Amino acid sequence: MTDHADHSRRNFLYVAAGGLGAVAAGATIVPFVGSMLPAADTLAASKTEFEVSTVAEGQLVVIQWQGKPVFIVNRTTDMLNRIQGHDDKLKDPMSQAMSDVQADWMDTEEKRINRSIKPEYLVLVASCTHLGCIPLFKPTEGQKDWGDSVPADWAGGWHCPCHGSLYDLSGRVVNGSPAPNNLHVMQYKYMTDTKVLIG
Amino acid sequence: MIESMMKTRLFQWVDARTDAGSIIRSQLTEYPAPRNLNYMWNFGSLALLVLVLQILTGIFLVMYYKPSAEMTAGGFTVAFDSIERIMRDVNFGWLIRYMHAVGASAFFIVVYLHIARGLYYGSYKGPRELLWIIGVVILLIMQGAAFFGYLLPWGQMSFWGATVITNLFGAVPVIGDLISEVLRGGFAVGDPTLNRFFSLHYLFPLLLAAIVGGHVHALHVVHSNNPEGIDIDHEKETIPFHPYYTIKDAFGVAVFLIPYCYFVFFNPEAWGYFIEVDNFVPANNLQTPAHIAPVWYLTPWYTILRSFESKLLGVAAMGASLAILFVLPFLDRSKVRSARYRPVYRQMVILFFISVLVLGYCGHSAPTATLKLVGQIATAIYFGFFLLLPFVHKFEKTKPVPERI
Repeated sequence: MTDHADHSRRNFLYVAAGGLGAVAAGATIVPFVGSMLPAADTLAASKTEFEVSTVAEGQLVVIQWQGKPVFIVNRTTDMLNRIQGHDDKLKDPMSQAMSDVQADWMDTEEKRINRSIKPEYLVLVASCTHLGCIPLFKPTEGQKDWGDSVPADWAGGWHCPCHGSLYDLSGRVVNGSPAPNNLHVMQYKYMTDTKVLIG
Repeated sequence: MIESMMKTRLFQWVDARTDAGSIIRSQLTEYPAPRNLNYMWNFGSLALLVLVLQILTGIFLVMYYKPSAEMTAGGFTVAFDSIERIMRDVNFGWLIRYMHAVGASAFFIVVYLHIARGLYYGSYKGPRELLWIIGVVILLIMQGAAFFGYLLPWGQMSFWGATVITNLFGAVPVIGDLISEVLRGGFAVGDPTLNRFFSLHYLFPLLLAAIVGGHVHALHVVHSNNPEGIDIDHEKETIPFHPYYTIKDAFGVAVFLIPYCYFVFFNPEAWGYFIEVDNFVPANNLQTPAHIAPVWYLTPWYTILRSFESKLLGVAAMGASLAILFVLPFLDRSKVRSARYRPVYRQMVILFFISVLVLGYCGHSAPTATLKLVGQIATAIYFGFFLLLPFVHKFEKTKPVPERI
């Protein structure tokens, strides 16, 4: 067999056809991977309403938002006092480390410290930022109620049972915890005086 | 491309531990394929492509499909609603589902053409008898998988199709009712039926993948037949499978994808042939649709079933019409393979193809007296083909076959 082939033409066709085939095969991946993203009805269920006046003073309730647990705490004046004065023990006292620990409604220094729109009603994603366990609410001071699961100078807050992360009563992570960040906050707003729309 | 890939150090490392290189050479780059294969030889690779597409789309559909006949608050069932959710809410769910639904019909189209090729060119004859028999097993598993899959949307056709077919087995003497109950998991088609059909619909493609592997292996032992149907010189009359037939198969894929994509994107129901209109109505065990018919690819056998007055005889004939395919290689005694050189067989096999098409048409239409008669004649031709086959070689004057291709 003699070889009269135009090799540059052949190579061009080879690369063009092969390249187009590779693009087509790559494009086929889009719908398959896309189908594994949250479906439209899952996304539509992304907002939750809650009546915060149903939470008694000093009490914590856990509700669901987007399938995730959310803490809602009605903080007493005493509890609000106990988030002050220990900034030196916190990794990120002003919640500036990353986007998930702050929100647009944190427009004053007070809201940034309280991590809530109304000082008393704290709304947080209830997942430890270490590996996602739900921390235990340990609101009273010292080791009286909690034993040595919390330090002697405990000002009240959350203790994660999985790997011992500690958060104060604003959900700010305490130095020495394995968790890297404060508990996450989310967008929410007051529809009425006491009804919040989360998400 | 393969050659340069095989020169890399990574490949050398793998090759030293798996002998992958000799597999690629013996099965692909040096696999001898007859140099005169025509486009009818494209349907095997197309069937493999569709099988892969069906498994792939099926795996992704199962991420959202829920096999439950429990009622939902909306008054439908969990299964039916999960399909509607796939269609409306899941990203690209409509595309993946339509690829799967159209793919089922596409699978049968290419496989029926693949079988017709084998019949016309005598590919079932020695030494390829077992290759053919493995192929018949693949056909039966495909039909089972398609039947199980059709129940899953839990529409009216799903429900009543499954009712009719599971009741067929009730015709078997003595143990018929037992078989029906084992298939259905109850006294009627219901939630247990849906769950076990779903399980089997997932199992059967796994069997298919394994048996298709056996089919290809058997093919590579006895090698491809060719349009002339003669034994060939493996040195002089073959070309390597790669690149010649990989390119030709790739071209076939490109041509196949044109109608496939047309139906997937523009006409997934195919005028009620691929997805029957009644299946958009949720299953109702208290009301049968006005006209019950299987999907087109099962209608020929459905007509054979309907052509007999006795239920048992109909079921037996339907079973025989498929079972007889197993013995086809032993019924045909002619020494010539290809219909090109067998004038009588050529007429017979073309008439056989027509009879299958007529059977398919009859099975898809509502039963009338005329169509019943037409169906019975077509059934007679279908079986007549096989009954005449053992005697054809006695009177058929075959044309001289060429020495070389």
